[in-house]
Amino acid sequence: MTRAFIVLTMSLLLGGGQVLRAQSARDLLGQGVRAYQALEYDAAAALLEESLGRDSAAGLADSLRARALTYLGATELFRGQRDSAVATFRHLVLLNPRYRPDELIFPPQVTNLFQEVRRATRAIAVAVPPVTELRTRLERFTARVLTSSLADVTVMLAREDGTPVRQLYSGPVADSLLVSWDGLTAAGTAATDGRYLLQVTPRTPTADGPRARQVVLEVKQEAPDTLPWPPPLTTPPLLPERTSTGPALRSLAAGLVTGAAAVALPSIMAQGKDATGARFAVGAAVGVAGFVGFFAHKPRPLEANVRANASQREAWKKKLDQVKAENVARLRTMRLVVRAGPETIAERRSE
Amino acid sequence: MKTIGVIGILASALPAVAGAQGRPTIAFRGDAGFVWVRSDTAAAAAGGAVRLRGPVLGGEGRVAFNGFAVGVGLLSGTLQAADQTVKRDLIEGRLVVAAQPLPWLEMSVGPFVRAYVTDSVTERWVFWQARARVEAPIVTASLTSYVELWRALSSQVNLVAGAGRVQGGEAGVVYRPPQRPFWLRLAYRVDDAAVRVGGSQTLEAISVSVVVGAR
Repeated sequence: MTRAFIVLTMSLLLGGGQVLRAQSARDLLGQGVRAYQALEYDAAAALLEESLGRDSAAGLADSLRARALTYLGATELFRGQRDSAVATFRHLVLLNPRYRPDELIFPPQVTNLFQEVRRATRAIAVAVPPVTELRTRLERFTARVLTSSLADVTVMLAREDGTPVRQLYSGPVADSLLVSWDGLTAAGTAATDGRYLLQVTPRTPTADGPRARQVVLEVKQEAPDTLPWPPPLTTPPLLPERTSTGPALRSLAAGLVTGAAAVALPSIMAQGKDATGARFAVGAAVGVAGFVGFFAHKPRPLEANVRANASQREAWKKKLDQVKAENVARLRTMRLVVRAGPETIAERRSE
Repeated sequence: MKTIGVIGILASALPAVAGAQGRPTIAFRGDAGFVWVRSDTAAAAAGGAVRLRGPVLGGEGRVAFNGFAVGVGLLSGTLQAADQTVKRDLIEGRLVVAAQPLPWLEMSVGPFVRAYVTDSVTERWVFWQARARVEAPIVTASLTSYVELWRALSSQVNLVAGAGRVQGGEAGVVYRPPQRPFWLRLAYRVDDAAVRVGGSQTLEAISVSVVVGAR
């Protein structure tokens, strides 16, 4: 009982720590916002910076970070720290190129400065769903490419080692662009299992241009549900196409055994007596009769059954071909599961 | 000739017997064959084993009904030694009651009489036989092989030595031509009759038979 209590207490202390930290960052953000609204800009700046500084693993979510950065930028602007305000807004644009401060909350000097920074800051972002299941050719994986300003970009799907798999888009993006992928490589085959990179890179990289972004995609093929082949034809329902060898062998055995019996009779029934050669004549005759029976019953084709089986085989083959065709079609539309990792900044490749 | 006459009388009497039983089947068999006899009984072989041979004629009439059959058979011929110094008539007669428990098996019992007749003496063997016959078709219904074994349940002989073990067997093939009312049979048989104080008589026969009527 005591041990359970200790374990429970420790779990609550350890697990609750992160919650407290996150609440603390959120509380700091709330206190910072209230200080901003009270025109206590120094206190607001300190609180907001502290809330942003605590955003490690259990810190603010991106939406709250964007809010904190907006208030911090406005705070810095009203504190007369324009460079800090520009840097903060730049950080905000890089975080989310599509973000816009609420014009009902922030005065024009704040929103105007943000727009100025946004135009000057060329940023790219990629948004993908965490998990996508698709059937190749028929369904599509989608990614949204976001830019802070007009940018010429190339959207490329590549292997983890950088080997290009398929170019998905190349051209200008004014604000956002929906890029889709049908699960196929450039060769038209389904992407195999493995890790891929969805890379969004500026077509003409410059030092002050936007940095390339990428998302790791874990692709896994799921075997399609194919139809089973029709069961092989056996007898029945196939009819025997030749007469059995059994009767022929039985006839031969009957003749040979009886012939042997005729030859062996004196040895069995009159042991030690000299027997005449008559038994050999009868034994040979019965043996020959056995061979006659063997050849009379020799297996031979049954034409009617052969014809009946041919139509059955043809129907079976037609059914098999249908199943094969259906399976080929199903295999062409392989099912893929695409799991997306976090968006990261792509390293520039040496040309 | 006397034997053939008896067979003829029996054959002519069979239809009358059969008619009294409802719907029986009747068959009549005529045999032609050759017999070899080797006798080393004390009475027969004062100067060593006697070897006789000669042609024989015989026949059998049989009535069958509901898996049972009754038959009467006779065989007769004259045997003589190779140097023609010894000569005997051979006469065999038998009555058989048979049952067919399985299509390929026939069991039968009945008395059997065999006599070697000379001008001065007749050596007569009488025994009750139990016989088992197994048939195996070679070509369905038209060509059949068979093996038949028998043993005497009791035996008597009018020799001083008395009868001992008596047994024998037969093997052959039967051909039934399609759409014909007769069959042909080729058979080999051997009978061995021992006398109590030593010695025996061995009879071998090869025969060709024509059977008329249903089995």
